[in-house]
Amino acid sequence: MSTDWNSGVWPDWCPGCGNFGIFTALKGALSELGIMRERIVLVSGIGCSGKIPHFVKVPGVHTLHGRAIPFATGIKASNPELKVIVHGGDGDLLGIGMGHLIAMGRRNPDILVVIHNNGVYGLTKGQASPTLQLGRKTKSLAFPNINSAVNPILLGVASGYTFLARSYAYDIEHLKACLKQGISHSGAGILEVIQPCPTWNNLVTMDWVEKNTYRLKDWDPVVKDDEDAVRKAQGIIGLESGERKALGTILVDRRKETFGKRIASIYKNYAAEPPAAQRVEVEGKALPIDLEKTFPRFFIQ
Amino acid sequence: MVKMDLNLIIGGPQGGGIETAGLLAVKALAMDGLEVFADREYHSNIKGKHSYSHIRASDKRVRSIKYPVDFVAALDVESIATHYKDLKPGGVLIHDSALLDKSLLKLPPMEKKKAERLKAELDANRAGATVKELDEWLQRNGKVVLQYPFSKTILEKVKLDSQLIERAMNTALTTVLLRAAGMPLTKILEAVDSLFIDKAEARDLNRAVAGAVSDGFDELSGTKKLDIKILGQDRPPRGKRMLVAGNDAVAIGKLIGGLRLQTYYPITPAADESFVIEQHAKLLDSEGRAVGSPIVIQAEDEISAICMAIGGALTGVRSATCTSGPGFSLMVEGIGWAGMNEVPVVVTCYQRGGPSTGLPTRHSQSDLLFAINSGHGEFSRIVLASGSHEEAVDDAVKCMNLAERYQVPVIHLLDKGIANCVTTVDPPVFGAVERGKRAEKGTGEYLRFAFGDDPVSPRAYLGEELMWYTGDEHDELGHITEDPDTRRRMYEKRMAKREKILKEAPDGDKAVLYGDEGFEDLLVTWGVSTGAAIDALPELRSRGSRVAVLQVRMVEPFPADYISKFVSEANNVIGLEANYIGQLAELVGCNTGFRIRSRILKYTGRLITQDEVVNAYMRIKGGEERVVLTGGE
Repeated sequence: MSTDWNSGVWPDWCPGCGNFGIFTALKGALSELGIMRERIVLVSGIGCSGKIPHFVKVPGVHTLHGRAIPFATGIKASNPELKVIVHGGDGDLLGIGMGHLIAMGRRNPDILVVIHNNGVYGLTKGQASPTLQLGRKTKSLAFPNINSAVNPILLGVASGYTFLARSYAYDIEHLKACLKQGISHSGAGILEVIQPCPTWNNLVTMDWVEKNTYRLKDWDPVVKDDEDAVRKAQGIIGLESGERKALGTILVDRRKETFGKRIASIYKNYAAEPPAAQRVEVEGKALPIDLEKTFPRFFIQ
Repeated sequence: MVKMDLNLIIGGPQGGGIETAGLLAVKALAMDGLEVFADREYHSNIKGKHSYSHIRASDKRVRSIKYPVDFVAALDVESIATHYKDLKPGGVLIHDSALLDKSLLKLPPMEKKKAERLKAELDANRAGATVKELDEWLQRNGKVVLQYPFSKTILEKVKLDSQLIERAMNTALTTVLLRAAGMPLTKILEAVDSLFIDKAEARDLNRAVAGAVSDGFDELSGTKKLDIKILGQDRPPRGKRMLVAGNDAVAIGKLIGGLRLQTYYPITPAADESFVIEQHAKLLDSEGRAVGSPIVIQAEDEISAICMAIGGALTGVRSATCTSGPGFSLMVEGIGWAGMNEVPVVVTCYQRGGPSTGLPTRHSQSDLLFAINSGHGEFSRIVLASGSHEEAVDDAVKCMNLAERYQVPVIHLLDKGIANCVTTVDPPVFGAVERGKRAEKGTGEYLRFAFGDDPVSPRAYLGEELMWYTGDEHDELGHITEDPDTRRRMYEKRMAKREKILKEAPDGDKAVLYGDEGFEDLLVTWGVSTGAAIDALPELRSRGSRVAVLQVRMVEPFPADYISKFVSEANNVIGLEANYIGQLAELVGCNTGFRIRSRILKYTGRLITQDEVVNAYMRIKGGEERVVLTGGE
């Protein structure tokens, strides 16, 4: 992989941070997908994961805590030619920004959401995140966690996501493959990445991941029809109820229309002339809109 | 030509066709060649609570409403009870004769406090406790009452199902109202046709109803006492005019100005604007060809709405969102991000009564200081406040131009008054669509936040160049920095825009003076209150006052030098606005050092009316410093 994908900004994550694995896999995936650099947009939230766009040599939009998804949705809807990828932490996307995560599943835009799941709020010294299990106590907590954990994959199923996968930050090849598949998928995707935080999460260590995850085998993620969709949903609940976390592609549903197609069903010329492709002036003047033709009901006869 | 000034109220239960009744009257008056300004007052309720339109029509331009009124047309008892006292001497009350035996005091939808107030009022006047008794009292006191058998007439002549009668009552009432004011049936029918242009069935039904009640009108006792022939006169032909609410006006302006992405979350009184944009998503030229097509996205909340709009703006699309107080509160963090990242995004904010949910459907001008200060930290922004529907159209275009020219978030500040009032306007004249400074392609490494003599850096859109954005302080490339020197320079670049904006803004964007240039007294106002002040001027002058109105339009950055010129020239400066503090007056003081002591204020959620301005001004002249207005129901 070429270092050409480094922006030149020094990644200021802690040594051993899972973000390095995600960073490496992401550069590899982008490089191998061969998308024009300027046509990619990495949109991120706040926290350690939110910094990732600054380190990759593609356009980056480092937004507000929890709000990467609405920024990304606005970008994609305005200019569908852009390849939009969201990066955020579990606190960001599943805590403060969860409403947007659900709304995105309902819309099904062509956007992959990569959840950097480390179980803690790292940049603020390790508070419990929405994915920390009930009763667990990471080292900076005064008491064991009194909230139950949310499962982003099950949330993805409930919200209507059409691509769901889970990978592990240090399994670069597996993660890269998942990223490539997710980025190429037409529709809304969640890629949950289990990511050790060596500084604050003393529970999710490399050793823990080794013992508590497994690669999916004999699992066909592709939904064939409505009946199959129900079977898959039930199957995923089964998968996610197990002691160990499944790694791999969990769901691919190509039947649902993307947000772009849904917009085009209302605005007929959307595909040919999305907002970013439309001119809005002629030589510095407003377009020759005929007010009576465009707004007949406001005219007094 | 008759010089006329007609004020009428049409009231009824919300969801009982009262809005259509108001619209029909407004249409008929506008089609009769009159200028119209109509206020719509309604509860935050779908069905049952008291709602009314106060419609003013004149042969000259009107920008406000005025009490007392010439007509009250009531669909129900609560409307009679609420508005009988608004009638001027000789004024006319119209209602269904079927209501005569009803009690004025047993009205379940009426709020307890209002009922107590009403009872005390009726007792004090010895005006009785039933509609019949009140009618008699009104007639003894120089008013005219038209008791019309609406339901009976519709039942017998139109042969409507008794369940459908309620749906036809609004047209029946409005027809008799307009007839009473001298409008012939043919003109009323033209308005019916126009109102129901796309709904043949409703049109036919309403035509039949209007015809039936009009037939019975001449035989009605009471009509003989009417000596009103103000409508249906031959008026000089008018050029093309439009009839719009403020929500419509802004939507039209945005579309003229090149808006291509509108995001919103439903909220009163802003949501109608997005509806209008959705309904007119195909912009047509004179040949009927589509020349543009904006998209509208309903977001999951206002946080998402502002963030989506910013995302759109980053791709070079003219993007905006619209909201009201509670939604604007949620958008604040996003506005700060846009300020930090120099994003041209427009937020249209229609003020309503606050704090919190406040008075969701009522008027207020209490978010001025919030709009100019919303967001933590310091950044340049523009806040432009329109004072009329015409301005709302032009300012909607202007806000998008200013946003792109200076690469700042722009808040277009309006109020419920403008949002919901319906008025006649001339079609807008198209002006410039200015897209601001663009980056040239292929000139080496692109720096989104390049330092230079101009605080505005050349702009490239996402998809064109490598660029980074972050809410953190950043360097010229857009990468995070905490370097004190870069911090200082980037901070100064952002803030320097304030001076640039003020320097380049035409005077008319800053403030507008109405009235005598050699003024002694100056009413300083903004937003929809401007209309009441301007409309009050002739009467104030006829009373010998040399008074002018200064409408402040640009409230951030604040044009202190320009405003200073006017306030320092006046003997008396009087603030006029719909809030408690006198927020504009405070702002003028902060920025110019000139303290506006006299303030006319209103925070009941109802519009400031022309007569209130006249009375309050006289009280100020009489020595009062703070006049709080309370008119309207």
